[in-house]
This record gives sequence, C-alpha cells and structure tokens, in this order.
Amino acid sequence: MPTEVIVLIVGFLVGFYMAWNIGANDVANSMASAVGAKAITLRQAILIAGILNIVGAAFIGSHVTDTIRKGIVSTDVLSDPHIALLGALSALLSASLWVSFATWRSLPVSTTHSIVGSMVGFGVAMGGFSVIHWGVLGAVVLSWVISPVFSLVIGFLMFKLIIWIVLSSSDPFGAALKKSPWFIGTAVFIIAMSFLFKTPLGKSLSLSTPVAGLISLMIASMIGYLGKWAINYKLDAEKKLRLGAEAIFRRIQIGTSCYVALAQGANDVANAIGPLAVIYFLVKEGTLGATVPVPFFLLFLGGVGIAVGIAMGGRRVIQTVGSRITTLSNTRGFSVDFSAATTVLVASKLGLPVSTTHSAVGGVMGVGLARGFEAVNFGIIFQIMLYWVLTVPVAALTCIGIFKFLLWVT
Amino acid sequence: MRIPFFSIFISSPFDALQEHAEKVKECSWAFQQAMECYASTRCETFDDHRQEVTRFEHEADEIKRRIRGHLPKGVMLPIEKFQLFRYLREQDAVLDAVQESLKWLSFRAEASIPESVEKELFLLVDSVIEPIEELAHMVGQAHIYFRNFSEKQRRKVKEIISNMRQMEHDADQREFALIQKIFATENDPVAVFHLVRLAETIGSIADHAENTGDMMRAMLAK
Repeated sequence: MPTEVIVLIVGFLVGFYMAWNIGANDVANSMASAVGAKAITLRQAILIAGILNIVGAAFIGSHVTDTIRKGIVSTDVLSDPHIALLGALSALLSASLWVSFATWRSLPVSTTHSIVGSMVGFGVAMGGFSVIHWGVLGAVVLSWVISPVFSLVIGFLMFKLIIWIVLSSSDPFGAALKKSPWFIGTAVFIIAMSFLFKTPLGKSLSLSTPVAGLISLMIASMIGYLGKWAINYKLDAEKKLRLGAEAIFRRIQIGTSCYVALAQGANDVANAIGPLAVIYFLVKEGTLGATVPVPFFLLFLGGVGIAVGIAMGGRRVIQTVGSRITTLSNTRGFSVDFSAATTVLVASKLGLPVSTTHSAVGGVMGVGLARGFEAVNFGIIFQIMLYWVLTVPVAALTCIGIFKFLLWVT
Repeated sequence: MRIPFFSIFISSPFDALQEHAEKVKECSWAFQQAMECYASTRCETFDDHRQEVTRFEHEADEIKRRIRGHLPKGVMLPIEKFQLFRYLREQDAVLDAVQESLKWLSFRAEASIPESVEKELFLLVDSVIEPIEELAHMVGQAHIYFRNFSEKQRRKVKEIISNMRQMEHDADQREFALIQKIFATENDPVAVFHLVRLAETIGSIADHAENTGDMMRAMLAK
C-alpha cells in the first residue's frame, strides 16, 4: 500500500477522533448552562446539540479552509507534498493527543489552539522559527486574555442589568415578560450578526456592515416580539408563580444555547477536518495552495463525529451534573450564554482566534463577580488558564516529535 | 471529561447555613424542655435534655466546620466570604449561650428554681426562644433573596430582622424584670448570685440571635 493511502486512512480516523473529542468536550459549552438551569433535559440537550452541530458543520462550516489554520506558519514549508502530508497528519495527531489528555483530566482547553500549536510545531520543525508569523501567534496569546476578560465584562453587565430592570422590580415576572423582546432581540441581533459575518454562508452574501446591521436589527425586532408571544404561550400560572422571572429566561435560554451549539459546529469542525482536507487534497491533486476546498462529505463526517462525541460524552456529563450546578438559574445561564456568544462574534470580527470555551468560562466569572452565584470557585480559574497557556507549546512539541518520527519511518 | 462549568461551581454554603440554623432552633427547643424539667419537682430527665442540647451543639459544630472547610480561596459568593464566617460565628454563639445557660444551671442542680421567680424566668426563656425561631425563618428567606434579588424579598428579610430586634428588646425587659424580682425575693447570697448570672446568660441567647440579624442586615446591604 502506498504511503499516501495509509496517511489518508490514518488521517480519516484521527480526524474523526478529533471531531469526536470536540463533541465530547464542548457539549458542556453550549448546553451545560441550559441543562444546569433546567431549561431542557440532558437527553434533549444531547439530541439538540448533536443535530445542530451536524447542521452547523455541514451547511455553515467553511467549505474552504486555510491550509494552515489561521495562517500561523508561512506556506513555504508546504512546498514538498510528501512533507506537507506528514505535517498535516502529525498536526492532527498531536492536537488530538493533547485534547485527549485534557479530556481525561477534565480541563477546558481550546481545540482551535491545539491545532494552531501543532501547526507551529510543524513549522518550526521544517523551517525554524523564521517561518512563524509572530503577529498571528501574538493574537493567540492575546486571546487568552481578551476573550475571557471581554466575556467577563459582558456577563457582569448583563446580569447586573437583569437584576436592575427585572429582578428587583416589584413584579419580576411582568417586567421580564415586558422586557423580553429586548433580551431576545439583543441576543438575536448578536446571532444574526455573527451568522452574517462569521459563517461562510453569511460571508458569501458579502453584505456591508451597515446593511448587515440593518438586516440583523429587523430580524432581531421581529423575533423579539414573536419570542415574547411564544414565551407567554401556554405558560401555566403555577410555573409563573413558582419561577417568576426565571420562567421567562428559561425559554429564552433554549434559543441561546441552540445558537452556541450551531456556531460551535460551524466554527470548530475545521479544527478536525481542516488538516484532513489538506491530506485529502494532497492525495487527490498532489499540490497545495494557500487554501484548499473542503468537500461536503468531509464536513458532514466532521459533524457526525462531533454528534457522536456529544452522544457518548453526554453520558459522563450526566454523572457530573449533580448538586454542583443547582445554583445556575436561567437568568444566570442566559447571561453566560449571551456573553460567550457576543465575545465569539466580536473577537472573530477582529480576527482573533478565540475559543468558545474561554469565553464561556469568562462569562461564568462575570456573573460570579456580579454576585450571581451562590458559590463559584475562582481558584480553579488559574489552573484552567495554565492549561490554556500550555496548549500551544505542548501541542507544538508533540507535533515536532511525531513529525520527526514519521519522517524517520517513511 | 472536560466540563469547565461544572468544575467551577461548588456546592452552595446557604443550604448548610440553613441546616445550621435549624439545628440552633431544635437545640433551643431542647433547652426549653430542659428548663421546664428543671423547674418541676419530679424531673428526672434533665440530664437527657442536657445531653440532647450537647448533641445538637456537636452536630451544628460539624456543619459549621463543613461550611468553613469547603469555601476555598478564590470562591465567589453573593456576599463576602468573611462576612459569612462572621455571621456563622454569631449563629453558632447562640448555641454556645444555650449550652452555657444549662451548664450554669447544673452547677446548683440540687437547688430548684424558687417559686417566687418561676413565672418571670419562664417568661424570659420563652422570649429568648422566639428570636431563634425567627432566625431559622430569616435564613430561609435570605437564601431566597440571594437567588432572586427581588426587592420585595429583601424587604421581607429586613422585616424579619427588625422583628428579631424587637424580640431581643422584649427579652431584655424580661431579664430586667427577673433580676429585679430575684433581688426583691431572695435573701440567700449564693442563690442570688446563681439566679442573676443565670438570667444574664439566658438573656445573652437573645443578644446573639439579634446579632445574627444585624450581620444578615449587613449582608443584605447593596
């Protein structure tokens, strides 16, 4: 069997495994707050997240990928197809190894940064430090600070706003219902904007910022008022009395977590499928440009991988969901979702490689600082951040090791 | 499994705080029974009641330690961590005062309560139990407030606190009346000393209950 075919088969397996990992790990990002706040059951969450991730990956996911994720290494290192093939495979392998380790140790690391780090390792192994685009690497480093801090600020402000205009009013339920078009509208506005800017589908419409803003605003106000009607629909008096304003946010939250799941499928599928697409393209065509097309079936495969990961990883989530998240009510969950989604949109617009994970953690901290949680342990944040920082060098070193080994073997 | 949300959330100290307050309440009821038993001539179960009080105190102590031990550095609560600790210490001091009263009583176990001051003494005992019952209620209502941040709920808790203040004031009046009565009716200096100190110790139960109210008021401050 020629090396190319072996590499392709291994690439498929590892790519699928990487997608599985994304699913198994990131089901928490999109659905944890909704499940924790009892907006949906875990079974529903797994089903919704699975379907939306497949849809997001296959239909919104990038049909063209950078040959090197986020262009962190100069494409000069890819001039030799054989080397490029091995490089893509080692990057995929080392990233999945790191993500597996993180999964095992329950650490929220970014899959995007794992792939970026692996690419750096490959670049260094091939062309030394000069091939690295330090500006892009700097943006990665910056994102460790920017995405959680930005998300923290938004989460803090959002929850304070909810306290101020809803919770502390004389009739929280009434106030929440009355203001719900604003909350839904703002969330939808963010969602619409990120679809128009972030996803390839939206990009293909190539709208200018004011036009996109106007369209988003129209959609937002429409859905906002429709949402208000939908929230009030069949809301029984017993729930109204028992949950108050939370009943309103419970329904809003279903929407926001669906968005996070969809966006995740669309954005993160490239982490698993990008390098695989490079391998696939190389085997088929023999050469490479700065970007390669990603065939639909690969995106779909990635989406299915993520969905399978969600279905299997979700089981372990069930075991962990216990007393820990009883303090996460719907108003808090909405604030966390909102801050994470907003951060991902704005940061991507600025071209920063942000991670949904980092933003979600920042959102939790923001609501915690707004005194929204009965008990959150910020001490663990430093441990989490350490692994964010470790991701790039560890993935890079692993990739160098694997790459050298593959070179020696072939 | 990598579940960032779940590793950040830890169990709420408020449930344990409520549990502690319930123990204080149960303990105060056991104290009331012990006092009634002591006053009646045919009481043989005084030591049982006293042991019950000690048992409640131990259980409450365990809860207290559990709360303190499970709030790691860097924990974020709706209130300052040390404010919570101060509050807990005061809530625990209620129990200590209850225990102290029984201990003081047992020092002269052979001498019963003189009939002349019995009425005043039991008025005092009842009036220190009241704010403790209110205390458990306050913790429950405050827990709800820290969940929903409703202004209405906040007013409700403030009202409970002001009730507790009034109750402490009533208890003070009764302590005063009791001491007056002791001096007026007792001639034996040892008995006077014992009874006066007993009145003061029982009175301090209500003081600590009021203090928890004040601490809670500080935690409610915006």
